[in-house]
Order: sequence, then C-alpha cells, then structure tokens
Amino acid sequence: MLRIAHVSASCVLLLLLAWTTALQAQDITPDVPDETAKMQAMAARIDALVQARLDREKVITAPLATDGEFIRRAYLDLVGNIPTVAQTRAYLDNDAPDKREQLIAQLLKSPAYPTHLANTWRALVLEPSDDPQRLQNEQGLQIWLRGKFSQNVRYDRLVEEFLTATQGSDGPGYFYASQDLKPEMLASETSRIFLGLQLECAQCHDHPFDRWKQHDFWGLAAFFAQLERPANDNLVGLGRFDIVDRDMGEVTIPETDEVVPPAFPGSNANYASFGGTRRQQLAIWMVSRDNPFMPRRAVNWAWAHMMGRGIVHPADDMSPQNTPSHPELLDELTDYFIKSGFDLQLLLQTIAITDTYARSSEGVADSEAPPELFARMAVKSLTPEQLYDAFLKVGLLKSDVTMMQQDGQRIQFVARLRTASKDRTFFDTGMPQALAVMNGPPVSTATSPETSGLLKALSAPFLSDEQRLNVLFLAAYSRPPNVDELQRYQDFLQQAEADQQSAALGDVLWVLANSAEFMLNH
Amino acid sequence: MNMLPHSRRRFLQTTAGLLGAASCSWLPQLAAAAGSDPNRKRSCILLWMAGGPTQTDTFDMKPGHANGGEFKETETNVPGLRFSEHFAGLAKQADQLAIMRGMSTREGDHLRGTYLMHTGQRPGGPLNYPSIGASLSKAMQHNQSTLPNYVAVNPSGLLNGTALSPGFLGPRYAAATVGTRGTPPGEGSDAMADLGVDFLSLPPGINTKRQDARLALWKDQQNQFLARHPSGAAEAQATIFQSAVKMMHPDAASAFDLSQESTEVRESYGRGTFGQGCLIARRLVERDVPFVEVTLGGNGLGWDTHQGNFPTVERLSKELDQGWSTLMHELGERGLLESTTICWMGEFGRTPNINGTAGRDHFPDAWTCVLAGGGIAGGQAYGKTDEAGREVTEGKTEVQDLLATLCRAVGVDPATEHYSPQARPIKISEGKSIDQVLA
Repeated sequence: MLRIAHVSASCVLLLLLAWTTALQAQDITPDVPDETAKMQAMAARIDALVQARLDREKVITAPLATDGEFIRRAYLDLVGNIPTVAQTRAYLDNDAPDKREQLIAQLLKSPAYPTHLANTWRALVLEPSDDPQRLQNEQGLQIWLRGKFSQNVRYDRLVEEFLTATQGSDGPGYFYASQDLKPEMLASETSRIFLGLQLECAQCHDHPFDRWKQHDFWGLAAFFAQLERPANDNLVGLGRFDIVDRDMGEVTIPETDEVVPPAFPGSNANYASFGGTRRQQLAIWMVSRDNPFMPRRAVNWAWAHMMGRGIVHPADDMSPQNTPSHPELLDELTDYFIKSGFDLQLLLQTIAITDTYARSSEGVADSEAPPELFARMAVKSLTPEQLYDAFLKVGLLKSDVTMMQQDGQRIQFVARLRTASKDRTFFDTGMPQALAVMNGPPVSTATSPETSGLLKALSAPFLSDEQRLNVLFLAAYSRPPNVDELQRYQDFLQQAEADQQSAALGDVLWVLANSAEFMLNH
Repeated sequence: MNMLPHSRRRFLQTTAGLLGAASCSWLPQLAAAAGSDPNRKRSCILLWMAGGPTQTDTFDMKPGHANGGEFKETETNVPGLRFSEHFAGLAKQADQLAIMRGMSTREGDHLRGTYLMHTGQRPGGPLNYPSIGASLSKAMQHNQSTLPNYVAVNPSGLLNGTALSPGFLGPRYAAATVGTRGTPPGEGSDAMADLGVDFLSLPPGINTKRQDARLALWKDQQNQFLARHPSGAAEAQATIFQSAVKMMHPDAASAFDLSQESTEVRESYGRGTFGQGCLIARRLVERDVPFVEVTLGGNGLGWDTHQGNFPTVERLSKELDQGWSTLMHELGERGLLESTTICWMGEFGRTPNINGTAGRDHFPDAWTCVLAGGGIAGGQAYGKTDEAGREVTEGKTEVQDLLATLCRAVGVDPATEHYSPQARPIKISEGKSIDQVLA
C-alpha cells in the first residue's frame, strides 16, 4: 500500500480542505451483533462461491485493491462522488483491520447515499429527456425515490407503491406519464425494471428464442388497461400526474379483435383470486415472497450496480437464454435478500464488504479472464452526473444552486454526455462530447487559477511542489503520485515562470481530470 | 442495380484499411484531389427544411389551378421538368435532380414529422431510433478519424434533440453541431453568418504552447493507466479523447474555418447561415466526412408558413437556391458531386389550398422531397399528384422507401442491421428502394 509522507504543512492543508463535507468517521457498534455476523457470513459465502468457479476455471485473481483504489470505488458506487482529500487521507491513515467494513457502513449512513441511489433508479425507470416538463418530472420521481431510500423502505413495499400509485403520489405518477398510460409500454417497462424480463419482443410476435409468447406480453399489459387520468386533473405548475383505476378497459392483440385477459407471466395463478384493482392484483403477485422474478431481479441489479455486470447479463434481461454465471450465488443471495425483509441497503452492504468487490481492477494475466468470472473489478464509466459532480469536487467548485438537480450548467452537461447504453463497462461517448469536457465548464473553471478553489488553496506559499502534487493526486485519483509521476510533474512545475506556478498546477489538474483514471471508476 | 458497383464497393471495403492513411488526411492539396481518388467513399448531405416546405410553391407547382399561388414556373435544363421561378440556379442543374413528387406520410406535427423523416419511424414506440445521419454515417464506414462522421449545421433549436438523436446507437454516433457564434443575425439579415463548432477552441487563457505541454503529460498519464487496466472502457476513453484532440488540431479544425475561403466564394453561397453551412458541408465532404446535415429555417421554423406564405417562401427559396446550387456547382468542379448524394426534405409538405391568411398549413398526404447528385438518376420527376395537389396519383412514396433509396444512392444496403440495446437487430430502413431514381 502506498503511504503519504506526513508533514505539518499538509496537516494545515487538511484543515483548509476540511470544509468540503468531510464525513465524520463513526464508531460502528452494531445494535444486533447477530445481524452483522449474518452479513459477514453471507459475504464470506459470496467470496467462496466466486472463488470456487475461479478455481474450476484455473483463473488467477487480481490482488485486493489498494486503499486509494478502494475508497474511490466505494464512494462512487455508494454515494455517487469521489472522496475529498481529507476523506481519503483519513482512510489511508486508518490502521484498523476492518477499515473497509467501517467505510462501507459509514457511507451508507451518509445523506449522499439515498441521493445517489435515487439518481441511479431514476435513470433506470425513466428514459432521459431534454424536455423541461419531463426534466421536472424526473426530479419529482427522484425526490420520491430519495425519500424511500433514505428510510430504507422495504424493497417489496417500494415496488408495490410504485405499481399502485394513484392520486397525490408525485413520484411514480411521472413514470406512468412518461409512458403515456399506454398498457403495452407500461407492461414492457415494469417487467424490465422490476422483473428483469424483456417481454416487448413478444408484443408483436412470439419470441423466437425465449419462452415468452405474445399472450404473455398482452396478458401483462392487461393489468394496465384500466387506467385514466381523473377528470379534475390539474396540471398547474409542477407537472403532477394523477391516475385513477377504472373498472373497464381491455387490451387486444394488435390487428385482431382478440381480447387478452390479465395473466401473470410464466404463472398459472388466477388474477381474479386476488382482490382490488388490476394493478393491485399485479402488485400482490409481484411482491409475494415466492415470486420467481422480482427478488432475483433486485439482487441482480444490486450485483451489477456494484460489480459492473450482473450475475445474469445484461442485468435487466434475465430471460432463460441468459444463464447466470453463478446460479448458486444468485439463488442464495436472493434467499438472503428475501429473509432480510427485502433490505436493499443490507444487500448492497453485504456485496460491498466482500473480497470480490475489493479486488483491484488491474489486469493480472496475459490472457484476459472472461468478465463473468469476476477475477478482477470491472472498469466502469462514471454516469454524466457523477462526472460533473466529480469535476466540481476536484476543483473545489461550489455550485451556486442549492439543489444540484436545478443547476443549469449541470443539466446541460448531463444532457450532452448522456449515454444510450445502460452497461457501464462501456465508455459510451463521442468526439463532440469529449471536446465539451476538455474545453468547457466545469473542467475549464476547475483548472483555472481564477476560479478553482483547489488551486487557490494550493497557492499557500509554504507548500512545496511535492506537497502540492500530493494534494492534486489525492483529489483526483485518491492516491498519492508514484515516483515517476512525481518526477515528471516536479520537472514540469519547475519549468514554469514564478508567476505561472498556479497556472502550471492548473495544467496538471487538467491532465488528471481528462485522464481515463479520473473519468472511470476502477 | 448491376453487379459492377457492388463488386467495386466490396473492393473499396477490403482496401480501405490499406488506404486509410491517404483517405483520412485533411491536407488541402489532398482534399482538392479527393475527387480524383478512385477509392473515395460516398458522402451524403441532407438539406433539412425546418417547418415543412410547401411543395406547391417549390417543386410541384400547379399553374393555372386555384391552389397554384403567386409564383411562376420556370423552364430548366431538362426539357419538360419545371419548378419555381425562384430556383434560377437549380434550373441550370435540373439534370442532377430527381424530384420525388409522390411523398405521402402520416405525421402532421413538427416534432413527430421531424422524428419520422429522420428515423423512418413514427415516434412513441419502445425504441429510440437513430436519425438517418447517425445510422448512415455508421454504416458508411469512412476511415477519416480527425473529424466527426456526422455534422449538423445550424440545426433547429426547437427540434435539435429529435432530429439529431443517435438513438440506440449511442453518443458515439451523435451529430457534432456547428452553430452560429455570437448573436445570430436576425431573419433576413444581410450580415455574413459566423459559424463554428462548440468547444472546438481552447478555453480563454490557454494558448497552443500550454495545450501542447498539457497533452504531452496527458499522453503519459493515459498510457500508464491503459497498460495496467486493459478494458473496453479505458480504451474507448483514450481513443475518443485522442480523436477530439486531433480534431482541435488546426489542420482539422480548419475544416470549420470559413475565413480560409475567399470572400467571393463565401458570397457565392449566400451570406446567411444556410449558405455558409453549405460551404462548410463542401469543406467537410472534401475531407471525407460521410454525413452532413444543413438546416434552412432553423431559427424558429422558417418554412412553417401558416400566414403570409408567399414573401417568406420567396425569400427562403432564393436562399436555398443560392446555397444549394453553388454547393452542387463547387462539388462538381472538384469531381465530388458524383460521390455525394444530396437529399432535400422537411418534416412534411403544406396544404395545396391557400388559407384565409394567405398561408398554407401542414400537409403530409402528398408532398415533395428531392434527391440529387451522386447515385441519383437526375433530370426527372418521380411520382405525381392530382391537378389540385391533394392526392398522390402515381409513385406514392413512403418515408421508408425514400430512406432506402438514399441508402442505395450512397452505396449502403438499407437492410444493414444495427443492434438495439436489447440486442435486437434493426435495419436502417425496412423500405424498398426506388430503382427508377437510382443511377
């Protein structure tokens, strides 16, 4: 592990930087040691199952990540942003043997955790949009989701609320609005999001490879056939979207008169034996403990969120032809998730404390092991939101806007860098986007001495170049520079004129901010 | 389609790698020689008419009928082929034009029509389809890597997202946008339009020397990470950012720098954003960019003439004629017209009858697009409307067929499949190409 040389000046700097929302390290004394023991046992079981397959395939695993690599990854995955210099230093200096576990527990308590999770799920639920009305809707859903995640509402309860949203429920209503209340679109999207089933190909024809038939699709669509907007609907201002369930309305197979009654995909259960509206009937089936799809899909989502790839891949297409890489693991984790009371936070925590999650992303063998073996951590793209926020953080720039979601510059940046692929192991962008990153805000402001908070802090006269470079690297990469880097950048700084020192440091920060190491989560 | 172009295309594809070095060069002398390069790939220029242009006052006139309006027809260099008197320049090049008078579509809303004509698909389905610029530029597989493969000049602010979306192909295939710098000149302004690419120039305070120093350090930083983290994401990041750096190189960036053209040339295209945009299109095609889209009427929806149709259409027609005819003339001079297909279209046509405010309203039932240049059998009108212009009586053409024809003209099989995020293969166009207008 790499260590930083400690000098008093860097302690002063640490204080200088301390205002950047340092999380207080907290002692974790679990109220229920039994719960912790269960979680640790499950984590160990995950590692054992992953290792067993690696052994079978005779694949060399990557070593554990360095502390710097780990803290940056854990921050990005759980709270959505890179750590500050102070946070990184505190972690690097911590000698506790269970410091990884401590860090994960601490991050899950941060208010940034529900925000990041809400952001992630909002992107999962709604197709991105540039339309101002829809953007407002996105925020509405995000706020709703954040509320649920900050209380760690049981996941089955969240799904149920989502499925049965009616009036005055500002969040999920937007989802229904975005699908224009169309039964076929609602069926296709809810099954993808919550069941991990891609039924939409069966919309027009029986699926050629899959077991889904056109009747499965339209049977599911029938649960959404009785929706309408109330007559008193009032669209003033906030884009609020009320829905009411009627007791009439059916779906027919296109270009036929054949009415398809509601039916649960892959199940013979009779919908009519459940009470309530059609959507309530669907919700009862979906959140029942023995639903074959819903909890597995949640587990696969959580795994993919942390590991960059699902146990079933793609994570939202768990059809029979996409077999799990670790069937036993998927079964046991699903069982664990159900028994925990559909505790999504605990699920993420359990995965996060495994050695599998803590592996380095460096390549170790000449021949690349298939990614589904999880021999090393996947290299993932940051979301456009994460990237923007990371630029702000590395430059110690403060958003003028209290609600980040309303920051016009952020909205523009995110719209420009939006990706089509949901697979974060792709880096999915183009030349125009790269130009905007390199030459536009917030990188231009984060790396300019006039505007960059970090460069201002580093202009303190008592700091040596080495100390300055140390801070830059910790801020951008959560690690100190290696020997080569230190040499190279010290030489560079020494060539700069006395009055150009800050500008030269800005150049270094520009280099780091535009590098793959910064722009990727690894 | 005979066998010869096919086998030639295959030859081009197999030799393209070897010739990459020559064909991706943007050195001016090579650009000038591009036309004589036998291995040259084709390009496409879409002239997009925001707002929906009237067919009755442009390419499918109804002289003598009550719907005919104020304009006269003019003879062209093709006997019997006539169109608006305000297309004096195009009239001399009508032998290059195939006028598609049988267009018939089903979207009469600007946003929906824009999506339909750009993607071939009606909006609202489960998939975000790529615009034709994104899917064609992907399929055309040019080897140039210093410039984006899809450039949109002065796209309509209102319809930007819909019109230029790379859809499920992802941002790698998104259009690079060339827009007006500074305050855009007002509608009908006489000032020379100043066009440029967003974020192509270095931020204020950073000169070339500093940028070079940055890039030298950046290269080391990139190599170090890539060597230790072999991965698709890291390689893509490095490649794409390296391409953007190349694009900022003065030789590449100069493609967008119209100050390198003489005033005479700039004037000959017309001073507005459309004329200057056509000039940029010529410069990009010279540099082997496969797809360029130039919008006319993008400040608002210029062709949306619900009121006072005639003065507006006269002004737009003259602007269109000057930019378009000069573009074809200059491409021809360089030997590039035969490898560059031009498509003229908007979101729909306009009603043949004139409304109470001397305007024409949205009309997707029977309207006109134009194909021109390379791969097109010019000098003809394909399709017919009835005397009043209300209905297509011959050669009814759906958008899918138009796009399939465009694909064929640029040497791409319309059945070329791209994969949606659900890994479903999607054809560029499901339509049938109209062989009668293909060369």
